[in-house]
Amino acid sequence: MLINIFPLFSFLIFVSCSNESYSPEYGVMTISQEQTQAWVRNFNPLAPGANARWPSVAGIYEPLFIYNSMTSKTVPWLGTTYQWKEENKVLIIETRDNVKWSDGKPFSAHDVEFTFHLKKDFPALDGYGNWKYLSSVTAIDSNHVQFEFSRIYVPGFEVLAGQPIVPKHIWSKVENPLQFQNKNPVGTGPFTEVTLFRPQVWELSKNPNYWQEGKPKIEKLRFPAFISNEAATLALINGEVDWSGNFIPAIDRIFVDKDPKHNKYWFPKTGGSIFLYLNTTISPFDDVELRKAISMSIDRDLINKVAMYNYTEPAHQTALSGAFSKFRISNSLIKENWVSYSPEKAKKKIKELGYEKNDSGYWLDQNGKEIFIDIGIVSGWADWIRAGQIISKNLDGIGIRARIKTQDFGAWFNDLQTGNFSSAISWAEGGATPYPMYEGLMASKGIKPVGENAGTNWHRFGLLEVDSLVSQFEKTSIEDEKQKILSRMQELFIQNAPAIPIFADPSWGVFSTKRFSNFPTEDNPWAQISPNRTPENLFVLTEVEPR
Amino acid sequence: MAITLNFIIPRLMPGDPASIMFAQFKGKLKPEALDALKETFGFASGPILYQYIDYIKHLFKGDFGISISYFPQPVTEVISSGLYWTLFLAGTSLIISFIIGSAIGIYLAWYRDQKLDAFLLPSLSFLGSFPYFWIAMLLLYYFGFLLGWFPLRHAFSESVTIGFNIDFILSVISHSILPAFTLIFVSLGGWMLSMRNNMISILGAEYINYAKAIGYDRKLLMFTFAARNALLPSITSFGMAIGFILSGALLTEIIFSYPGQGFLLLQAVRTQDFPLLQGIFLTITFSVLISNWIVDIVLLLLDPRVRR
Repeated sequence: MLINIFPLFSFLIFVSCSNESYSPEYGVMTISQEQTQAWVRNFNPLAPGANARWPSVAGIYEPLFIYNSMTSKTVPWLGTTYQWKEENKVLIIETRDNVKWSDGKPFSAHDVEFTFHLKKDFPALDGYGNWKYLSSVTAIDSNHVQFEFSRIYVPGFEVLAGQPIVPKHIWSKVENPLQFQNKNPVGTGPFTEVTLFRPQVWELSKNPNYWQEGKPKIEKLRFPAFISNEAATLALINGEVDWSGNFIPAIDRIFVDKDPKHNKYWFPKTGGSIFLYLNTTISPFDDVELRKAISMSIDRDLINKVAMYNYTEPAHQTALSGAFSKFRISNSLIKENWVSYSPEKAKKKIKELGYEKNDSGYWLDQNGKEIFIDIGIVSGWADWIRAGQIISKNLDGIGIRARIKTQDFGAWFNDLQTGNFSSAISWAEGGATPYPMYEGLMASKGIKPVGENAGTNWHRFGLLEVDSLVSQFEKTSIEDEKQKILSRMQELFIQNAPAIPIFADPSWGVFSTKRFSNFPTEDNPWAQISPNRTPENLFVLTEVEPR
Repeated sequence: MAITLNFIIPRLMPGDPASIMFAQFKGKLKPEALDALKETFGFASGPILYQYIDYIKHLFKGDFGISISYFPQPVTEVISSGLYWTLFLAGTSLIISFIIGSAIGIYLAWYRDQKLDAFLLPSLSFLGSFPYFWIAMLLLYYFGFLLGWFPLRHAFSESVTIGFNIDFILSVISHSILPAFTLIFVSLGGWMLSMRNNMISILGAEYINYAKAIGYDRKLLMFTFAARNALLPSITSFGMAIGFILSGALLTEIIFSYPGQGFLLLQAVRTQDFPLLQGIFLTITFSVLISNWIVDIVLLLLDPRVRR
């Protein structure tokens, strides 16, 4: 027996030694953004959610303007200037000269026109609903596009400006742009040439005709397939990944300590918050003061420390964070505070509201039944689950029975949309301003009855005043007016506690400066670091340099 | 029957693929996009009966439809990307562990009163009860990460050219050692135990005693007279195990990022990729049927009693 093991063992050693360690060429950046078992060669930037590779939307293709959420500036990209006309009913965008597609053909305003017409002809491509407010898109000349609106909708600019533009000379020959895999993409972006494509790894080289002179400085992007967050983390620690958008637990100990000089991370807040949604169609969660009391019983500092590894911060009373902090109303206008941890006040408040306790010390609703909260969370989302555990403990502390209910993603999201839940932890709408978030939280227009799928406002809470604020906001292009509306929305949010903000929503950006420099950092926040935030990732892709 | 169940079961899950995809955008897409997504994939359209008829029709043409989680790849392509690796990894480790386990079982049964038996039997059944993903993680951490002897992920190195060449074969072998070892490690005990127990009951049979009394050679007794009979129940369970190979070794695949059916199945469930689910279930069904058929044939060869 022993004799047999020896040759086997030496064979193992031989095989393992033959396994060469990975050493990338100069200027090749390895990125971990998507997780998959096998890559699918799909570079279709138009079909929403149709599983295109990450650089398709912002990397191979580019938008007209990019809103930099760190500097709050709209950066001209394929577009150079924009102008509202006829009381905000017409938008004219000037497109950049001297931009070439990666196949050498010139880019023009006709490509922009074509892209939007494609979305009109194939409504399934119009995931952002452009044609709900557009009436026509025409190229006036080779570098001016005119957008006519069917109703005044100023925030539409953000969406139109963010549209990846595809080449007319290629896409006009595509029969079914929905299922078009676009295996050899032709784009205006910094990286367009697919030089290797295998199920386990693929590479994207730089565009020889890129319009920003001398850029990109990175030669090639490389994407190994990581099946899970753990596999990606292991590769990061091993120094095989240069830039990543993964969540890493205890990152200081696990990642930074391995190479403190090069291993870096920055988790900027995205602007909104993660919320605890209470279903306001269920009594007693329709009681605004009870919702506030529940909020007061939550120990947000503990949640940030234990559940979120101190990666973020406890939610602000307005639910605004990060770059949105500048929209916050002044502290003197914040008349209530129901986000600070004070279980005693919470208990007192519930008592004052007229609720009664039963013999075991739990609060009863109006029908004499114990108030019970199921907190719906996706199974496997460990950070939210830990947050939910703390919340349920906190609630128990003030005499409200609560437990977390973990569900598969599909089931969880289905319950959320149909309003078939008592409470759940979830995100809120994003955007360049907080208005979509507040609209989603408080607008009464579009509230769906329980049982019907709702895209936002899962908790089904609505105020008529918010509807009119929303429509005012959509009509104005004046910054002061926008701020006024946003301030009023915040006041309403604080008064009505439609949902309970828990912690600021962070985005993940992990990088190594071993082989590349000039990443944005917390001290020099010239752009967003997280690759997950398209199209802002274009700033990083064009500015980072190999060393 | 299997085909119908295949169609119904995935559809009993709550939620639908478009909503899940929509939700992955975490609020970045407008609610209107949901309808757009549904249109993109063209699924869940029309009454369920109509979908069913459509599904059967396509099935006979060998068309499982287009995968949603690997959009727009056809299901057959997605499955074949994992199929061979699963066959290779789970197949070889099953065969290896069956052969080694059975051999140890025969050996232990013959020398059942000796020290080796007293030591190997409890230790192997102890190892068999280990959760294999735990062993997999330990192996990956020590041999892959800390020592760097073995690769951390994938079925072969990214730098080799795929084909029948030395580099590729060596790369495949070195990538498969750790995952295969975990699979063999934990299943060894089971084969060993069932073989040993079968052997012992057969060794107690009258004809063995008779053969012993006549003075037959030990090897002839052990392998031809006893083991051949003792192997029959093991063969049956081996056949069953082969059939289930295609469901993959989920956790091993995840830990070693090994391409395979198990992860595909998990992903299909998570994203409610009906076409992919149906495709995988169908391949599993067929492989169970085929392997049972093969086992029947093998039993015919091994056991003259069945032939009569």
